[in-house]
Amino acid sequence: MIRLHRVTKRFGCGTEALRNVSLRVDAGALAFLTGPSGAGKSTLLRLIARLERPTRGRIMVDGRDLGPLARRQEPEFRRNIGLVFQDHRLLFDRPVHANVALPLEILGFRRTEARKRVRAALDKVGLLQKENAQPLTLSAGEQQRVGIARAIVHRPALLLADEPTGNLDPELSREILQLFLDFNRVGMTALIASHNLGLISTLGRPVLHLENGRLEARHVTEPRSTG
Amino acid sequence: MKDGSDRAGYLEAWLYNHSEAARRSLWRRVHAPGQTLILVAVLGFVLALPAYLWLLLENARALSAGVDHQPRIALYLDLEGGEALTGTAARIDALPGVAEVTAIEADAALAAYRESLPDPALLDWLEDNPLPAIIEVLPLERTPEAVAAMEQQLATLLPEATVISDHEWVRQLDALHAAGLRVLLVVSALLALGITLILAVASAAELRERHEEIAISRITGATDRFLRRPSLYGGLLLGVGGGLVSLILLGIVVMMTRSPVEEAAVVFGIPFAFAGPQARVGLMLVGTGLVLGWIGARLGSAAALRD
Repeated sequence: MIRLHRVTKRFGCGTEALRNVSLRVDAGALAFLTGPSGAGKSTLLRLIARLERPTRGRIMVDGRDLGPLARRQEPEFRRNIGLVFQDHRLLFDRPVHANVALPLEILGFRRTEARKRVRAALDKVGLLQKENAQPLTLSAGEQQRVGIARAIVHRPALLLADEPTGNLDPELSREILQLFLDFNRVGMTALIASHNLGLISTLGRPVLHLENGRLEARHVTEPRSTG
Repeated sequence: MKDGSDRAGYLEAWLYNHSEAARRSLWRRVHAPGQTLILVAVLGFVLALPAYLWLLLENARALSAGVDHQPRIALYLDLEGGEALTGTAARIDALPGVAEVTAIEADAALAAYRESLPDPALLDWLEDNPLPAIIEVLPLERTPEAVAAMEQQLATLLPEATVISDHEWVRQLDALHAAGLRVLLVVSALLALGITLILAVASAAELRERHEEIAISRITGATDRFLRRPSLYGGLLLGVGGGLVSLILLGIVVMMTRSPVEEAAVVFGIPFAFAGPQARVGLMLVGTGLVLGWIGARLGSAAALRD
């Protein structure tokens, strides 16, 4: 699903966020990405979602080489990816259900079908009763779960999460990570950046460690084949 | 991945998408009443001004056409009269497009002139008649073009004669009207350009206010076309609003100026009714507003989305 070959990302100011990173994550796998802040976790996720372009190296996602991907092809490419952010990035001018429906609206879903899917996604994250609430009235954990519902409502093949448990207490963090495990169980490939080492080490999933923009080359396979 | 892949479903989704964009842009306009009112008013003024000038020009033209004036072409001939004169008159009478021909002998002209003088004895000082013989021609058609063509024809027929038409003022008025139309066109184009840029700036500002929604939508795979759709509807709404405001303004201005103009026409002895805007003008104003609103929004959103 994800293949990085000797990828380097250097920003305009000269700092190298990633150096020669190679990585392979198979379809259906779930991996955690850890490392101290500033290690390049977010940059790696942004490169995979084509929110940034690499300075050097090659990135392939879902069998597609991102190198020659034109700007106008990017929207269509991103529709197969779900993104979760630490700060949820909800739109506070509309209720929860409208926030979750945004990707479906962009994809041109019929209203009845969209409503069904929004309710299913909210049900999965346990917030069905809050579908008409305004995001500002929700707790931090609930807001994050709305963000997750929005990321998975269009059933993307790949889910990328950048510190989804960053602001949450241990109990809520565990619940959120459990959600990702559930999505992975039904076939969604997931790459989750987190510095919550203690928690992720208990989940028995591959952990990729980024340090100073460097990553030990890894090949993450489906959980069944790793045991 | 997309379940609505059948044609009807696609159409429904497309319609929903558009109605949702329109609804949202209307909501945004209603929730920013100050800005909306200013933009609609500015657009209304900008549309009403050239429309009013155009109405004035059209009325001026109607005025000149309404005056029942029989154009007259006079040929001043270097002969006394007699058969030479009647022969020439008969030749002119045979021309197509001539309604009436009157031949006035030089002596008759002098006699008429003598009668118009307060002291006819003054003319006795003259040794001979300095006046030429005159042939007066009334053309059938009264349009300035037809009169000019007739003049031309007479000048070729009688190169030695001096041809003078009293219809010159109609041609002058027509030339003024044409010049007025050109000035109006240029002024309208400049005003349209100005208002389009104002609408573009407003549209860009509105998109920048939505930057968080746009960022999230982009990450989720929204195309620029999807993102600017609400702005385009916003532009269309402002355009229609501006068109309606301009119609109202035009109605008020016409009402305020109608009676003084008509009274002035009465003083000049010309029966004249000042014509107000017709349905066609209303459609034009709203249509122009619509087009300018759309272009402004398109320019503004293109600039904002590029940033």
